[in-house]
Amino acid sequence: MRFILLLLIAAFVVMPLSNVEAQKAKTIDELAKQFDSSQCKSCHAEIYAQWEKSHHARPLMGVKGGLMLTPLALKKGQPGSTAFSEDDPKKMKISNFPCFKCHLPQAVNHAEDSVAVELAEALIAKDSAKVAKLQITCIVCHNEKAIIHKRELGAPEKGVIYGKKDVPGHAGGAVKKSAIMNDSVFCGQCHGLGPNLEFDQGFQCANLYGSYLHNYIPNGGTKTCQNCHMEKGDHLIAPNFNDDKQTSELYAKALALDVETLGYEWLRKAGTLVPKIVVGTKLTSNAGHRIPDG
Amino acid sequence: MVVTASYKDKDGKAVESKQERHYHPQATNCRDTKMKYGAQWKIANIRDTSIQPMQPKKETFEFDLPEGVRSADVTIDVVYEAVNPDNKYPIHSVTKKVSLDK
Repeated sequence: MRFILLLLIAAFVVMPLSNVEAQKAKTIDELAKQFDSSQCKSCHAEIYAQWEKSHHARPLMGVKGGLMLTPLALKKGQPGSTAFSEDDPKKMKISNFPCFKCHLPQAVNHAEDSVAVELAEALIAKDSAKVAKLQITCIVCHNEKAIIHKRELGAPEKGVIYGKKDVPGHAGGAVKKSAIMNDSVFCGQCHGLGPNLEFDQGFQCANLYGSYLHNYIPNGGTKTCQNCHMEKGDHLIAPNFNDDKQTSELYAKALALDVETLGYEWLRKAGTLVPKIVVGTKLTSNAGHRIPDG
Repeated sequence: MVVTASYKDKDGKAVESKQERHYHPQATNCRDTKMKYGAQWKIANIRDTSIQPMQPKKETFEFDLPEGVRSADVTIDVVYEAVNPDNKYPIHSVTKKVSLDK
């Protein structure tokens, strides 16, 4: 009985993973289905619940319900439009959304341009429900982004989940070790070096990984992104800017403030004492990157 | 970071004096000198005042008080702003009374 149950779970989970295949998605629903990870919830409920509250679960929604890609979808020349905009949303292509590089990596190789058109129209219509279907799901990190040594190790295998170690007999399909899942470079794939100059119109988003490499590491830092942001495997990967209290607490923990004050009377010219207050502040960061970024 | 010195002048009127420091990377599109906000507009940082790891950020704020004023309350607020200045996440708020008397 238990064996049959395991087989059923395996079939249930492996099937969606198998959908990540050569045929590209033509619609938002098709792309969402290809990378749907909801099956992971049945065994990894706590991790899934953490992820559901994370920015990875709403990568196109910005902070507090915004639709951050809207400027790209606007008609070219319209106030607020960008160099990536077209004069008709129906002309939008995947290449018009360079933000997909990180905000929806699966779209780069697995979506037809029709998905870009549908997204542009949804953004203009402020159709948050449709835009929200596009997520950085479990499969995106644990398959699509799990291998960076493709010339040596090959591309991520269809239907395989990549993790910190091999997990023989995993009910939801084969789990193989990713060489980088524990390393900062894994996060650095998206959380940025600085300018993205590989596009025909350069742009700059996150600099976090650049700051980590060029300030934290040279100063002797040894922690990884995961050490601090995924403590005990937390898949919220804070901050969650929709949670004001938690965000404030996180920054207070990262930034220590020391204050010193002095009151005295300043003398520049004989007989003209000026009452003066001097406030000295020192902010010390224990983060592994600049604050803020972006 | 906002540092506010509050005191009462010789007429008993409450006075506030503020000074601010802004810590963040600042980028342009490299075609003009206007700072841009939003990844789709920016190309590269031209200035970076953000708080870097292992590099404490020290500041000195000076407030000249009117003649006869002998003390002030000083409040230091450290706030994170995301997306726009109205979306604030308070980090620290410290108030100290500073006197010119021994």
